[in-house]
Amino acid sequence: MFEQFKTDLRWAGVRQNLVAWVFLLPFVFVYVAFLIYPFGRGVWISLHDWNLLAVTFNPDAKTFIGLDNYLRLFWGTEMTWRAWARPVLQGLCVLAAVFFVWRYRIGELRWSTLWQCLMVLLLLMFLFGWAPGEGGRWFDRRFWPTVGNTVFFVAMVVPAITIISLLLATALNRETRGAAFLRTLFFLSQVLSVTVVTLIWQMMFSARQGLVANVVREFGGVPLSWLAEPGFAMAAIVIATVWWSIGIAMVLFLAGLQDIPQEMQEAAKLDRANSVQAFWYIILPNLKRTITLVVILQIILHFQVFGQAHLMTQGGPNDQTQVLVRYIYQTAFRDSDLGIASAMAVFLFVIMAVFSAVQFMVSREDEQ
Amino acid sequence: MKTMENRRLALLYTMLALPAFIWMVPTLWMVSLSLQPNALLARTTSNTFWGLIPYPLTLDNYVNLLAHGQVHVWFFNSLVVALGMTIGVLVLSTTAGYAFARLNFVGKKTLLVLVLLGLMIPEQAVFIPLYTLFSELGWHNSHHGLIIPRLAVPIGVFIMIQFFRGVTRDVEEAARIDGANTFQIFWHVMLPLARPAMMTVAILTFLYAWNDYLWPLVSAQRTEHFTITLGLASLQSNFAQSEGLGSVMASGVIASMPVVILFLIFQRYVVRAVAVGGSKG
Repeated sequence: MFEQFKTDLRWAGVRQNLVAWVFLLPFVFVYVAFLIYPFGRGVWISLHDWNLLAVTFNPDAKTFIGLDNYLRLFWGTEMTWRAWARPVLQGLCVLAAVFFVWRYRIGELRWSTLWQCLMVLLLLMFLFGWAPGEGGRWFDRRFWPTVGNTVFFVAMVVPAITIISLLLATALNRETRGAAFLRTLFFLSQVLSVTVVTLIWQMMFSARQGLVANVVREFGGVPLSWLAEPGFAMAAIVIATVWWSIGIAMVLFLAGLQDIPQEMQEAAKLDRANSVQAFWYIILPNLKRTITLVVILQIILHFQVFGQAHLMTQGGPNDQTQVLVRYIYQTAFRDSDLGIASAMAVFLFVIMAVFSAVQFMVSREDEQ
Repeated sequence: MKTMENRRLALLYTMLALPAFIWMVPTLWMVSLSLQPNALLARTTSNTFWGLIPYPLTLDNYVNLLAHGQVHVWFFNSLVVALGMTIGVLVLSTTAGYAFARLNFVGKKTLLVLVLLGLMIPEQAVFIPLYTLFSELGWHNSHHGLIIPRLAVPIGVFIMIQFFRGVTRDVEEAARIDGANTFQIFWHVMLPLARPAMMTVAILTFLYAWNDYLWPLVSAQRTEHFTITLGLASLQSNFAQSEGLGSVMASGVIASMPVVILFLIFQRYVVRAVAVGGSKG
């Protein structure tokens, strides 16, 4: 009797597992076959000298070269280490370190977190110290400048989007028709595709036919060809991107504002706080977590910029708007060098993974 | 008190009117240019009020686009790809989401962590190996070749897990007592309840599919297999040879139409989708 019961139970367990796997199998199959496997394969390709065309015609035309592709990207000849090889970047590290220590002193940072931050900064300082010395050169002259352009783009776009969308969200966080209409209006550009956005802004900035040029001409100025002008090309891409993508940030801020207790804002009103004071002392402190999340999310999103640079400026002038994903795309599909391109893709993944991990830690922190 | 509140609102709207107008200008300009004759645009783009008012007005650009050219083919491709991807993601994410949220099986925790780790892999990190894989399979220049890669992205599963976890167990228990098996419960009880979450996933997917650029650029090489997003990019780069500025702008408007209409109708879901999709990767 008891034995019978036990077998029944075991069968029920097996059945339960089977049923669950019927539900899981379609997704798990697609997930493994088209995300996990390609990812592993990407890492594998990055360890090879792999020419797209050669391998297409002869699958054996690849050679295993270990980490050489990474070396060819990251390193150069006659590499030497100097303490202040890159004053700007290393200076930023020192500033960041001071900032973290200050946060620790006012009690906003745990000792362990401070320690981790300082170690990361120290490592960065050390890495930034390396450069090709006398008579040396980078193996790949374009890689680090491309990374630099991408970082610069992110450093321009993310603060601009964060500030604009935060102000808009605060102003439009009310239940009137007008506010709803304006929210729709400011969000609308977010649903356009990157090709429509670049089509519009390419024309906007055109020296001959552009709206910007027409307005400048009206006021007696000499119109510029923004997209071909050093210094202006990146600005044009940044403007187009900000116009395109404040929507997501604004929505996230609106969601964050909904979570601020209504009483707090009422209390501020009773204390005759004006809107600037209310913003500074009530809204900002309460939105800290949302701001952090939005910033990290934007960094992840915009580090992957491709379409704007590819379609508006083709990376020019003088490679000034060449960004990482476009370099990956070109290396793979114009130069047919899949090995190097995959190594860059792995590099991109590592950076994204670091920020994803930070995002995960921040969002877990506020669940506690 | 009421009047003061009203006055503050009025002040706010006046302050926001100018930025709002400036924000709309690029879009308005595109629409306006698409409605002006190409011959005029070749001469000047600032005919009436810096070109923001379409005068003289013509619909020729749209008529020409629909009569000749490949815009309607691209539009159709986009529709097939976006709808196919949406249905596929819905099927995979509801079934897997339900299993993760409600069914017990061996190794559930490990598998869940493995699936969520997939959220960290950006498209750009896998598009090269996917390209070689699809070359071997002969899947380039096809609709399924554009649909399948996105089916593997776990964001939809993640949203469905969150939703199914929130449904009370009572409903399920009641159905089980009535003799329903797991499949019947899923189909007749859980799916109808999940409609709002499914809308969120569907809209997120449709918007992504319609606007996706990098993967179609790599996978669809023949013009008859382009999506509208990709086709528009090719019009842009062949701008000098194309039929004129008005036509290009008209194709931009056509390409944006479905997503803009979708957004205006389902705004509530779009905003939710962005908030959920945004905060979770």
